[in-house]
Amino acid sequence: MSAKITSLRTRLLDFPILTLLHPREQTPLLIAGLLAGIVSGSLVMRWLDWPFWTAVAIVLLVLLIPGVFKWRADQRRYGATVMGVSFMLVTQGFHTIEHIAQWVQYHVLGWTMRASSGLISPANSEWVHFVWNWTVVLVMTLLVWRGVRNFWAWLALLWSVAHAGEHTYMFIRHLQVLGELSGLGITDITAQGLPGILGRDGWLARNAAVCGVFLSRLPGLTTAVRLDVHFWWNIGEVSLLAMAAHTFLKSALSGRLMPPSNS
Amino acid sequence: MWWLKGRTIWHVAVQGGLVLTLAACATRPTSSPAAVNFPSGPVAAVQVTESTLSHSAPCAGAFITHTLDHITLTHGKAVHMFETNGAGVAINDLDADGLLDLVLANFKGPATILWNQGQLKFEKETLDDYNTRAVNSVDVDGDERLDIVFTHIATTLSYWRNIGRDAEVGRPLFSHEALPRVLKPAHSMAWGDINGDGDLDLVTGSYDAELNLQPGSTFLFTDGAGIYYYAREKDSFLPQRLAPQSQALVIALFDANADGRPDILVGNDFDTPDFAWAQTDDGWQTMRPFPITTQHTMSFDAGDIDNDGQPELFATDMKPYDVSVDTMVAWLPMMATMRQIRPAGQTAENVLLIREANGRYRNVAVERAVDATGWSWSGKFGDLDQDGFLDLYVVNGMMDAELFHYLPGNELVEENQALRNLGDGSFLPAPEWGLGSTTSGRGMSMGDLDNDGDLDIVVNNLRSPAQLFENQLCGDAGLEVQLRWPESQNTQALGAQLALQTSTGTYFREVRAGSGYLSGDPARVHFGFPADATIKELVIHWPDGAVSQLTSIEAHTLLSVTR
Repeated sequence: MSAKITSLRTRLLDFPILTLLHPREQTPLLIAGLLAGIVSGSLVMRWLDWPFWTAVAIVLLVLLIPGVFKWRADQRRYGATVMGVSFMLVTQGFHTIEHIAQWVQYHVLGWTMRASSGLISPANSEWVHFVWNWTVVLVMTLLVWRGVRNFWAWLALLWSVAHAGEHTYMFIRHLQVLGELSGLGITDITAQGLPGILGRDGWLARNAAVCGVFLSRLPGLTTAVRLDVHFWWNIGEVSLLAMAAHTFLKSALSGRLMPPSNS
Repeated sequence: MWWLKGRTIWHVAVQGGLVLTLAACATRPTSSPAAVNFPSGPVAAVQVTESTLSHSAPCAGAFITHTLDHITLTHGKAVHMFETNGAGVAINDLDADGLLDLVLANFKGPATILWNQGQLKFEKETLDDYNTRAVNSVDVDGDERLDIVFTHIATTLSYWRNIGRDAEVGRPLFSHEALPRVLKPAHSMAWGDINGDGDLDLVTGSYDAELNLQPGSTFLFTDGAGIYYYAREKDSFLPQRLAPQSQALVIALFDANADGRPDILVGNDFDTPDFAWAQTDDGWQTMRPFPITTQHTMSFDAGDIDNDGQPELFATDMKPYDVSVDTMVAWLPMMATMRQIRPAGQTAENVLLIREANGRYRNVAVERAVDATGWSWSGKFGDLDQDGFLDLYVVNGMMDAELFHYLPGNELVEENQALRNLGDGSFLPAPEWGLGSTTSGRGMSMGDLDNDGDLDIVVNNLRSPAQLFENQLCGDAGLEVQLRWPESQNTQALGAQLALQTSTGTYFREVRAGSGYLSGDPARVHFGFPADATIKELVIHWPDGAVSQLTSIEAHTLLSVTR
């Protein structure tokens, strides 16, 4: 039995991401926090009639506690750069769950685009997307500067800059539209969900230079709805981040990564 | 070594991307020359008269706008639901003088006939008929004289029978008569020899949303209106109710299941799904031929946009044609008031349905760049630049005191959209054609009004003078064909299909009474083709299945073909 566990641990080291993300000594706190968050969230929904997203937010806030402890442990054990990698993997992982939820709401449940706002619907706003994406760019830049330099890391940085660029375009237009509406005396319109550069009705789709040429035939580039465009932006970002992390952790930290213990 | 694995993955990604790109190129629609696959039938002998069309004025490379002496008015200063729906226009040669005349319906004022005097000069005559919506010009009684039929909202159709030329007046007179047993209120209509028995039948549809609001309307206390099919039976019509309720803005006769018989398509407003009935030996059967339809269907038109012998179906809805800040600002507050729903099988944008080899339809509006033409009303195909490919023109705009209370004049001002066919069934906006009028068009029709061989356009605007857009594009060559079938009650041969075989391709047209929104088409069909094309043959498939083949045809002529 111990041989099997040892073999499993050894194989885990082939996937250093899994080893890094394992909560280890924070596991009991994580489980307790998850349970507490779920219970609290359910209670506020039932007793206070709060919306679903508040319950999700409560769970995430509670999970932040073991998360902070875990990252502090990572920082002490492996250094700030590895801690940064861990932080990015976790936060982008939850971000991906949010996009998957939106995808399911739209394509499986058949909700409208406006209603398909994921698990934390108020977070689906232009300024949140803008700030989030540029934060990702900032953190990725720091990681590359701090030594996470491999082919995938550079590609991930490039991808995140392009993604942030699209959100910048949308954010600027969002502000412009809000400004014009305000001039008409209309202040209760959200102006969310405007098309970006890619996808259906985006800048590329409406550009005469692209119309009728092969670019407009590439699957989804000018035809995918906004929700799908950003789903794939995120998938690409997370995939490249995972590849970058895997490559970095394997080479930079070989022998240093401790597999999870029995406790 | 990580970098080696990385390079391998990189190469795979690049090559995979190249494969995807090539695949995307390969899926680009290509038009292949179509064979004329009309069913074989008895040969119909015909007499042909040719008249040479005049050459157009110095070509300006664009359309020239002319104002017509007609304005469709509304009640009151502010426009409310559903006055904004406007009225239609029909083009046809009412007095058989070789010049196409115009009939314009009018919401508030009298309907108007504009008699074509040549050189794009018109003489106005009003008809004592008010609150008219759709208009068609068809030979209802089969006497070879074109009559006029209007729809209203709260009453049944009004029929103006052409009783012949009055020597004193110098043009036909019209007698206001009843269509026997056509009694139900109707907003939209479609005429054609639907059951193939040689006379003209009729389909009508009510617009219940407005019907309910009519003062004094007893609609709610009757058995309602809905969709009616009226089969012509000698001097009367046999009504058959197909649907008890409707929000019918448009009706089209289109062979959706390709069985050779016209089916009935009804485009409904709001979230009411569009209706479709197939004509079978056992009568009308409901069907759902399309995977998706427009949500607020305003208009239908069918045309073979890629010259493969199969007509495509285009339907209009409401979607901004650009996403500029100004356009978003104009649309968003209105959209915020609309119910947020996602009805299955419907989409709030234009739809272009092509029939694939497996018999199924696919919506290609987005990939062909025709999904968004503004708050669209009438949308029609026509070979405007005469390159052999059907282009698309859509009129748009909206006025409503409630929906657009925040805009100056409560009006969503938009430019009509002209879209040039690139030669493969995809389209590109053609603002250089000068058709971007912003006067809130509703009904629209196309015809060669100056007999110079190209298609002109007439638009019945709302609260602005109607417009005639004279075609002065530097187009190539054209041919026009007018069918006459005096032995039949269907004297204009509605439903006839024509195929013009040339050295540059085969072009297909159909003779129809109406298309687009509330509007009537001329019985004279137009073909455009490259100037260096050699005409080989014109094949006519008459509504009764007989076939005529004409050779030795010259370009730039009007053929009058009498069977």
